[in-house]
This record gives sequence, C-alpha cells and structure tokens, in this order.
Amino acid sequence: MARDGFEVAVNGINNNYKHSNGKSNGISAYSNGHKVNGAQSKVQSTKSTPTFKEHFEQTPLGVAIWTYLGYAILVVIGQIRDFLRSIGIEKIKSCTEPKLPGFVPLFQSWESFYTRNLYRRVRDCWNRPIGSVAWAEMDILERVSYDHGWNFELTGKKQRVLNLGSYNYLGFSQNEGPCADAVEDIVNKYGVGTCASRQEMGYLDLHRNLDILVAEYLGVEDAITVPMGFATNSMNMPLLVGKGCLILSDELNHASLILGSRLSGASIRTFKHNDMEDLEEKLRFAVAEGMPRTHRPWKKILIVVEGIYSMEGSIVRLPDIIQLKKKYKAYIYLDEAHSIGALGPHGKGVVDYFGLNPKDIDVMMGTFTKSFGAVGGYLGGSKNLVNHLRVSSHSAIYSGSMPPCVIQQVISSMKIMLGKDGTNEGKQRIDTLAWNTTYFRQRLVEMGFIVYGNEHSPVVPILLFMPGKISCLSRECLKRGLGIVVVGFPATPIIESRARFCLSAAHTKEMLDKALDILDEVGDLLKLKYSRLKRQPALAESDNKELKNGTRNSSVSTFADLCTLSMKIIKTL
Amino acid sequence: MFRWGAKHPKPLSLITNFRFCIIESSHTLITMNIGTATSEENPTHSYLGSRGIWITYVLILLITHFMLLTIPFFSVAVAWTLTNVVHCVITYFMLHVTKGTPWGTPEQGKARTQTQWEQIDFGQQFTPTKKFLTVVPVAIFFLASFYTKYDTTHFCINLIALGFSVIPKLPQLHGVRIFNINKW
Repeated sequence: MARDGFEVAVNGINNNYKHSNGKSNGISAYSNGHKVNGAQSKVQSTKSTPTFKEHFEQTPLGVAIWTYLGYAILVVIGQIRDFLRSIGIEKIKSCTEPKLPGFVPLFQSWESFYTRNLYRRVRDCWNRPIGSVAWAEMDILERVSYDHGWNFELTGKKQRVLNLGSYNYLGFSQNEGPCADAVEDIVNKYGVGTCASRQEMGYLDLHRNLDILVAEYLGVEDAITVPMGFATNSMNMPLLVGKGCLILSDELNHASLILGSRLSGASIRTFKHNDMEDLEEKLRFAVAEGMPRTHRPWKKILIVVEGIYSMEGSIVRLPDIIQLKKKYKAYIYLDEAHSIGALGPHGKGVVDYFGLNPKDIDVMMGTFTKSFGAVGGYLGGSKNLVNHLRVSSHSAIYSGSMPPCVIQQVISSMKIMLGKDGTNEGKQRIDTLAWNTTYFRQRLVEMGFIVYGNEHSPVVPILLFMPGKISCLSRECLKRGLGIVVVGFPATPIIESRARFCLSAAHTKEMLDKALDILDEVGDLLKLKYSRLKRQPALAESDNKELKNGTRNSSVSTFADLCTLSMKIIKTL
Repeated sequence: MFRWGAKHPKPLSLITNFRFCIIESSHTLITMNIGTATSEENPTHSYLGSRGIWITYVLILLITHFMLLTIPFFSVAVAWTLTNVVHCVITYFMLHVTKGTPWGTPEQGKARTQTQWEQIDFGQQFTPTKKFLTVVPVAIFFLASFYTKYDTTHFCINLIALGFSVIPKLPQLHGVRIFNINKW
C-alpha cells in the first residue's frame, strides 16, 4: 500500500502527520528496510524552523514481486549459460585462471557470476567516456559492442547530451570564466604540483589562504584542507576517536565514513536512517550502560551524519541532532560532501539551511568535489581541533599536499560564492539551483514517478525497481539526448534500484523542460510512473515566491508557514 | 551446479582438466561498486527479508506445482511428491551448497566459506526469515503426505526430502561440514 509522505514541523510544536493508515503520532514504520520518516524527538525549539518534507514512498507489492521474478529469471538463465560454458557449447570470453596442478585456485567462479551474467550485458550504461567538460551538456563518445558487452569499440562519433549525472551543483565545472583564468595564472606562477607533503616543503601560502577562506565560509574558527575527499574521512576520523569511544553512525553513511570509523578502532553502532527516536534511544543506552562488559563510561560519543545522503536525497535533521547532542553531551561529525554549496540561502550548507550556529557542530567536514569543481576536502572546527589535526593528520604528514591549481579553483569559486569578487553571481547560482530543484521535483512528482528524498535536496532519485528497466531507461534516455546515472542491485537494496539526477545551477529552464519531456516519454514507454500518492495541487501564487528561494529564512515563506501552522493548530483543537 | 572453490590439491585428472575457473578482469568487478552507495556490504544478509519476497517464493512454488500437475502422465500424488523433491533439491543447492556471494564484496571474503543459509541475518538463529524458510518445506511435506494418501513409497521419498530440507537448517549444524564436504 502506498503511504502518504507526511509533513513534520521540526520544532516539535506541531506534530501534524497526515498518514493514510491513520497513525496519529508518526511513530516510525519500516518500509523497504529503512524508515519511512522517522519520528523526531519531542524537543522544543524557539527558532521558527520551517516544515521538513521527506518522502520515501513504499514499493508497491506487485512491483516488488515482479522485480524478484525478474531477478530469478536472470539468475536461472545465468546458471544455464554458465553450465553451457563449462561443457564447452558456449565460448568463454573472459579470462580464465590457468589450472596449476598442486595449487589452490585463487578465484571462485561464483564470485563473478553477477558481473559475468547480469552486469556485463548492460555494462554500456555505466562508465561512458565523455569527450568534453562535464557541464550542463556534455559530449559522450559513442561505443558499440558486437558481443553483448564483452568488448566495446569506439565508433568515433560524439553525441551531445544533457548532463543530469554529474555532481555540479553550482555549475563551477566550466572550463571558461574567472575561475579558469585564475587557475591558468596560478599554474604559470606556482607550477602544477607541490611535490611534497604539507609538513615538509609542500605548505604554500596558498594553502594558508585556503584554510582561512574555508573557515570564513563555514563560520568556524579554523579549517584544514586535505587533497582527497575520501581520505578526509578515512585518514582523519582515527585522530578524533579511538578505542574506548563510541561512534553512532547513520545507517546509510558513505563508505569513507565507514572506513574511517573502522580504522579508528572505536565501537560502532548504527541508528536507523534519520530516525531521531532511535538515535535518542541508543544515546540513552550508551550513556546509561557505558562500555559493554565493564560498564565504564565511554570516553567520547561521536554522532556521524551526512548533510545530504546522495542515494536517498534526504537531508539530515540537524536541529534535532544538535539538541540531542547537547542533552547527552555527545559530539557531532557532519559530512557535508553533497550539501556544502548546494543548500542554504547563502550556499553554506545544511547549517545555513536550518539557520543554526556553526559553532554547535564539533567537526564540520566537506568536500570541494561536488559544488566547487575541484578535488579535496576540508575539516573545520575549533582552533584546538584544527591544531591537533595539523600536527597529526596522516594526510598532512604522509600524502602530497593539494596542488596549487586546485587550491586556486576552490579559492576563486568560494570568493564568488561569498560575494567577494564584487558581483552577484554567487547569490544567482544559489537561487538558480534552489529554483531548479523545486521545479524539477515538483514536475517529476506531478508526472507520477516515485521520487525519494527531501523537497529541497538537489539530488533527485526516482525509483525504477525492475532490472530490465534500469538499463532500458539509461539507453532510451541516451538515445533521446539525456545522460543519467542509474544504480541497481547490489549497490542498492534489491527492490529499490533507481535513477539519480543531480541538478545544477548551470541547467536552464529549457534544459530542464527538455529533460522532463524525455523522462515523461520514456516513463510512459516503460511504465515507470508508479506513484500512488495524491498529486500535489498546481502551484499557487504564494508558492511561486517560495520557489525562487526554496530555503527557510525568507520572510514570505515564514509568514506563509505561520499561517498554515495556525490553521493546523485550529484544526486539531 | 559447478563451483570451483579452493579444493585440496589433487593429482591431475581428466575431470580437473575440464574444470577451469572463470574470472572477470578486475576492473569490471571494481566498477560494480557494491556497498559504496549504502553501507550494506553484503546484501545476502537481508534480501530474503525484504518486502514481498516470501509471497514471491510461495508464488514460484505454486507455479511449479501447477506446471507439474498439467503433465498428463503424473497423477496427483506423483505431482505432489515431485514438487516436494524438486523444491528440496533446488533450495538445498541454493541455501546449503552454494557458498559465498555471486558478486565481489568489499568485506574481503568474510562470507566466502559460508553457505547462504549461514549468511542470512549475519548468522543469527531463529530470525523470521529463517523460521519462514524452515516452515515451508514442512508445510509442503504435510500437503504432499495428504495428497499421496500416506502411501508408503511416497512417504519415504517425501520424508527423505524433508530431512534434507530441515536438518541443515538446524542451529546445531551452523558451520558444520560433514566429512569436510564443501568445506572450502
């Protein structure tokens, strides 16, 4: 049965959940293995935070059954073909391990069953080579396979397609413009690489400037930058927590956070995705019980969450987490890889989106890859924290430091976002992104697709479910000139394979309309419009203003929210 | 099914000459990216508990049974016994013979020597999935006994099939390999 998504007023004053199955206090319920919309903790807040709308519509039962049958048929056919290969009727096209007498084989054929029989046949949907900069449009080099995915050949032709797959939230992945010019100058001045680690000869004045600029951008005391985004988590988390500490990490955290947590040696417990009641329960248990056998208190409790979860499109419930953290004296590690630059009226991430104080977050981490068109990451926090990281971070001691051209790209783009270059471009980009997000999501929901995630997140996953539709959608969209990213099992749960769109400030309304028309057409062709939620009414006048600035702090939206809030309170009386 | 796991080194024989190991070039395995999207490292632990899969299981069973019933040579009793035996053989191979996972996992081969039954729910016993998978062969046994009118031959065959279905699922046999068959 489809469930309505429900509105939650984050400040706890108004728990007004509209559930189709009649649950009145929105106690979280499972769907597809993760929470539909975990109920918040009942904490009061004096700030007027706006409504927080996240939808994770449950998979319709019939669709789930067809999906399983689809996979079952594929597995059976895969087994038959493996059998034919083993008895020699079908040629073996992949490498085979030579059978050396007296040696134990290194590989198990069963381990590559899925890759060989399922993934290989639809391999052309991923790793497409592109022949231009990955901006709002890109050139895809055409490939053709004459043997069903074993080998590809380039035909030499290029196809210009719309790019809805690149993480380019603010559109800084251009190869022209002020950022590119500044980078060119820097390359002439500083060269291409630093050729040393940060603690040796690789610490340039550019690095210092970047650290100061990042700290200013985030609103924290100091920051340190790391040349690789993944390594920012995996190399630095072990410095913050160790044995005897507890990490409470969200179910759907990224692999870098998991690796960092494991490397640290701390105990790890996961809480259900974005579910504050579960988190509070686990916090209470940890504080009351202490360590497993000795019951001594934990040295530190670190809550690890992400700003935007890239596979779900959901935004973390930061106000609730901060209140929980203050109540139970824990620390919070916020990974803003996808949300920095993409959320908030000033583009300063999820802290800005909710209007909170950055000093409340103990460790703010993020990457420059998604919004700033560069590589690398940063860690921001108090001066003591950053001093400790400067001295002992593995990425500062053992790896080469960030190249000067990358630093300059980040500096130029951050200056544009802060408004320091004197133009209005930063604000324009943020507003365009917010408008694009709301418009695109609204249109997709109106068309009838199941769209996951928060209404303001620029990551838009739509669900496809069946294995055949994953590859078909990708190919049909490419034929019509749209390049998208699709993800299937086993990277996602078995009944939640999806296509994920990443919106950008570089997309114009015409591009989005073209993409939506293509999706509409292909959605009808493949029958992808599964949603059984009641469609939202058409945009009213007051909503138009909210569209332009889809964030909290504008006075118009606050007033509208106050009106709706008061109406709801009156209705419940 | 053909599994070429690590075996004790044997002298060259005709059979081992024919068996070879099909591997994929490593870059395709890496690009599959299991577990980077979510933190679920090995979906085998939980996919049998996801929404609708039990219904699908019973549905596939019913479809197989009806297909067997349509064959004119088989009487009802034979069709039921055949359903029971076919179900037992297929689930035995899927759950208790197949080891590891059909995809490379980032958890570095922890599950490589575990059968699928041992991987379900991280090896916890008496979970709902395991209970369901144990009840289904028993239910089929009861139905088959009823429809075969408790005939002795059919009963023996059904009992052996039931034995193969239920005994490997006992918690005492978790991780046990009799006579080291299927150990690696």
